Amino acid sequence: MDKLKALFVTEALELIADLERVLLEFEKDLHNEESVQVIFRVMHTLKGSASMFGFDTLSALTHDLETVYDAIRDGKIIATLEILDITLKSVDHLKKVIHDPSLGNSDLLKKHHDLLTAIKKVAQLHHDEIGADYSIGKSFLATYYIYCKPSFSIFKNGTNPLFLIDDLVALGDALVLPRMDLLPDFNHMNPGECYTSFEVILVTDKPAAEISGVFIFVEDACEIIIEKISEANLLLHDSFVARMKGDHDLSVAPFGLEIVMRLAENATVTPEAKSVQFVATRVDSSSIRVASDKLDELMNLVSELVTSQARLSLLAEQHGLAELTNVSENMEKITRRLRDNAFNICLVPIESLVIRFQRLVRDLSKELKKEIDFVAEGTDTELDRSIIEKVTDPILHILRNCLDHGIESPEERVRQGKKKEGKINLKAFHSGTSVVIQIKDDGRGVDIEKVRQKAIAKGLIKKETLYSEQEIIDLIFSPGFSTADQITDVSGRGVGMDIVRRNIESIQGEVTLTSILGQGTTISIKLPLTLSIVDGMLVQIGDSKYILPLTAIDKCYEIEARRISSDLSQKHVFDGMLLPVFNLHQVFREKANEHGVIQIIKIAYEAFPIGITVDQVIGEYQAVMKPLGNMYHDQDEFSGATILGDGSVALVIDTDKLIKQLTAKVVENNVLVN
Amino acid sequence: MSKTILIADDSESIRELVEITLKSAGYNVLKSVDGVDALKHLNGQTIDLVITDLNMPALDGIALIKEIRARQDYSTLPILLLTTESQAAKKEEAKQAGATGWIVKPFAQEKLLAVIQKVIR
Repeated sequence: MDKLKALFVTEALELIADLERVLLEFEKDLHNEESVQVIFRVMHTLKGSASMFGFDTLSALTHDLETVYDAIRDGKIIATLEILDITLKSVDHLKKVIHDPSLGNSDLLKKHHDLLTAIKKVAQLHHDEIGADYSIGKSFLATYYIYCKPSFSIFKNGTNPLFLIDDLVALGDALVLPRMDLLPDFNHMNPGECYTSFEVILVTDKPAAEISGVFIFVEDACEIIIEKISEANLLLHDSFVARMKGDHDLSVAPFGLEIVMRLAENATVTPEAKSVQFVATRVDSSSIRVASDKLDELMNLVSELVTSQARLSLLAEQHGLAELTNVSENMEKITRRLRDNAFNICLVPIESLVIRFQRLVRDLSKELKKEIDFVAEGTDTELDRSIIEKVTDPILHILRNCLDHGIESPEERVRQGKKKEGKINLKAFHSGTSVVIQIKDDGRGVDIEKVRQKAIAKGLIKKETLYSEQEIIDLIFSPGFSTADQITDVSGRGVGMDIVRRNIESIQGEVTLTSILGQGTTISIKLPLTLSIVDGMLVQIGDSKYILPLTAIDKCYEIEARRISSDLSQKHVFDGMLLPVFNLHQVFREKANEHGVIQIIKIAYEAFPIGITVDQVIGEYQAVMKPLGNMYHDQDEFSGATILGDGSVALVIDTDKLIKQLTAKVVENNVLVN
Repeated sequence: MSKTILIADDSESIRELVEITLKSAGYNVLKSVDGVDALKHLNGQTIDLVITDLNMPALDGIALIKEIRARQDYSTLPILLLTTESQAAKKEEAKQAGATGWIVKPFAQEKLLAVIQKVIR
């Protein structure tokens, strides 16, 4: 039943998302009968399944909504924006109710009643007979202890005691503990007799009478105890559950009411104990559903395999056995393919996000009385599930900014000779091994002079110093910066863009902003395809090994060690070009190699290439990324660490950040040698 | 030989639930997501019972019943409606179309099985 419930939650979330999408379409054309049909049907399905799986509050609200749309369908009510508004609010509410169907949260409960009243009101304007009786609010969750010992002869009158247990479980969340202590040894056992008794911890909002109702036909054939043991949901208390479950020894005798009562008292009661969360992933109808924790497990196993594979390759190399090397190389190919496949499975299209964005734009543009044409392109672009989760909030924030500060009011736009509707374009596309999400508006753009003045006023920059336009624009991402003249509810508290940048950088992404005054702003978010494994180049610098992302590497050169000076920054000629080179031995304080040759790796950095020194290029390496932990959160030149075949650790260098830091340092010290 | 039951419901969770219930009672189960999908199974093979939802995207329950009744092979096939709907008018409509019985969601699994046993014997 729990599995089915989880299935229902996933399905319901999809239905709710569908509903939202159709409602947004319906808004554009309130006469569209087909939309009403679809809305009605989706609601109907939702209601039916919800009632089947005990989500009564969800079912009740959906029922009322459905009645309204039924009336619209039959032409008894005319669809209005007001009705649509309430429906969308209800949709938002349903998303929450599904995780808290008993409305344990008082805000949720109030909202629920408000919505029921609002729905009734819009419906009653035209229609009298609507609504059912709602028992919401009258009953609250409680935990019951139920002991049921069917008589030995219960099978003879055709009763299956398990049905009773099923009925109990259907009343709420339950922990069922079968007790087999009465089971005799095999020689004395009569298969026609029932030896099992049950202890059930049931969490339900149903009255006790309903629980005893389950046993109404078997009262004579069972010994029954039903007792309320707590006003709280004890199943949320791990210690209580663990204690009840014991060590799964079937011969354990029932605890009995007294002991269970004591355990219940011991379980500390915090009202907002961890509520059960279901994670739902949106999957195409042509595909199968997989629980997300199974995917995580798969990715973990693949990562482990990649690490073990590295060890195998190393062993094969050390032993120099041709046969072993053969097997190892073959394994490596398969591992790589398995890895790529596993990655692909974890990718989800950003489409699922776009509905949320559309919804935000719709609600906000209404609130701000702006007219917005929101277009999303490339919504089939796929990203790792975990990245999608983390990028949602930053994008929502950017859109909020766009609507609030970027797009002008319709009057102002007309005055400027622009179209009355502002345009926001969200585009997702692949670029190399990254995915770029671009949000472009045709609003007022960033006033660089205004930003500069503000930054000076806030003491972020010095008045005398000259800054490039891009440098000034970058100030928008500084903590506490806001250029809005007025602080509005929507955005503009000046805590936005720095958090956006920080969130995106925490998933190895990049955010950049370009803008033309009076014409609009473009914000680009560059994201890695995945976070867990990177294709890298293993290099030796001094006594340590490091990983460079393969995508960053352009070319490798060799140079005599004596020609490398101890300076941090120097220049050397390769392929007839002068290449700025950073001495990484200096940077990482590794022992410099004074004899033999040094390898210079040419890195593609922004517009110009940069060289870095390493002692030896060991070879390509699939690095399973492990986070560095909080101790190292300042070291953002490293994106993580990986475990090598021999068990040692190699740091993974984020070349962009490293070079950016070094360049800044060089400029600061003014030691750039020309 | 165990009997075969065809389910038509657009809700996956309900389909699964009904399927589990029926399989636990030893029935063979065929699943379909709507009326059109259900008709695909009516290709001459032996089906002992149809359990259908009322509201479905393509071909709703009542239209499905009419389609089934129009086919000679299946004109006497028992059809149960399993729906949240409980309006008398709808019931009457279904009865006219040729439905054998009506079960209201939410249903108790034993009740469903009891009704099925009566219908297909």
